[in-house]
Amino acid sequence: MKGPDNNTQWWLGVTELVAQGMHHGAVKLKRVHLSIADESFRVLDVIPATRPGSRLVRVCHHGIARVSYDSVSLAGRVIAEGAASAGARLAMRRQDMTET
Amino acid sequence: MVSVPSAGRVQQHISAIASGFLGDWLEHRGNPLAVPMTVFADGEALDLQNPQPAVPGSVLCLSIHGLMELESVWDFPARPDEHYGTHLANTLGDTSALKLRFNTGRPIYRNGQDLAALLERLVSNWPVPVKRIVLIGHSMGGLLIRSACHYGAANDHRWVSLNPDCVYIGSPHDGSWLAVGAHKAAGWLNRVPRDYLKVVGEVIDLRSEGIRNLSRGDAFEPGTSDQPLLHGARHYVISGLLAKGERHPVNVLFGDALVHQSSARGDRREGWELAGIANFPGVDHIRLAHHPLVSQQLQEWLA
Repeated sequence: MKGPDNNTQWWLGVTELVAQGMHHGAVKLKRVHLSIADESFRVLDVIPATRPGSRLVRVCHHGIARVSYDSVSLAGRVIAEGAASAGARLAMRRQDMTET
Repeated sequence: MVSVPSAGRVQQHISAIASGFLGDWLEHRGNPLAVPMTVFADGEALDLQNPQPAVPGSVLCLSIHGLMELESVWDFPARPDEHYGTHLANTLGDTSALKLRFNTGRPIYRNGQDLAALLERLVSNWPVPVKRIVLIGHSMGGLLIRSACHYGAANDHRWVSLNPDCVYIGSPHDGSWLAVGAHKAAGWLNRVPRDYLKVVGEVIDLRSEGIRNLSRGDAFEPGTSDQPLLHGARHYVISGLLAKGERHPVNVLFGDALVHQSSARGDRREGWELAGIANFPGVDHIRLAHHPLVSQQLQEWLA
């Protein structure tokens, strides 16, 4: 890495990678979280005494979890796209400077 | 005194590791972490249109690293300016010791095509006429050499007519057990009817095309039949083993840690005529890239 612009580009690349990891990671974690939780809810669902309550809890739990993970995922996506477009603009500016 | 790697060096290593894992995706996104293919002489990147090494020799010795590595993998510990190339240059004379850096996550055949074109430009623009080429590949680098030889011959490149010496050091010609294991684990987990296990399989599946190619030693474009070794060139194979006893169970299970001896020799490939085979029990996969015994063997074969 040579020059401040190259260094900035490199960090923007790292930001994009980490943010993409956050975006995809949140989606995958949501699936892991919900599917593991479903194992417990399935057990509670076969017991008549806990069935009505567990169904209500399941809806609330899954709803809150979805909103939380999707928010993190969306934030990751926005940051990743922002970093990618900033990196592309910087690369174009460097190319223009090289040509002139 | 403890040597502390510079911030630039750390960044290069991070780029190399990221490229190994996700190099094809990074390249597709135009992410600056994707490592561009570059040739180095004495630590300086060469301009392929006008290469100006300090002392251009008529023999080119190009060292090609493996997955997630940088060209520094060739340097002997505590002797950063010494590697197999410089040892050969000292013995042969009139030799330029070069190193390649590339994005190891790209499909091997695409890197092979680019390497073939790069060698053609390098030989055409080299300040003195090139008389001989020595290609030394560690791990994935060896597969890259086979690929470049195939595409160089297919495109009638001039460098191929110099009948290069090709050295494959710990190269998984028949695949690496770890890459095969990852492939099988991902396949199994993706079939399990539990979402949390499928996710683990999907995460393993995120690995780059370069890593996928290592599960079978794929060096050519998909759909291409297996290609023979470049005719006229001399091909040498070097393998390592974790334990000193050749038949030690650890060696049977893990080979040099990543590659079995049989895979390094390309036992499953038909019609291979090798000019030399050497095995170094007690030398693991990474140390194969900078070991005095390997250097000595290269001197015997190539000098």
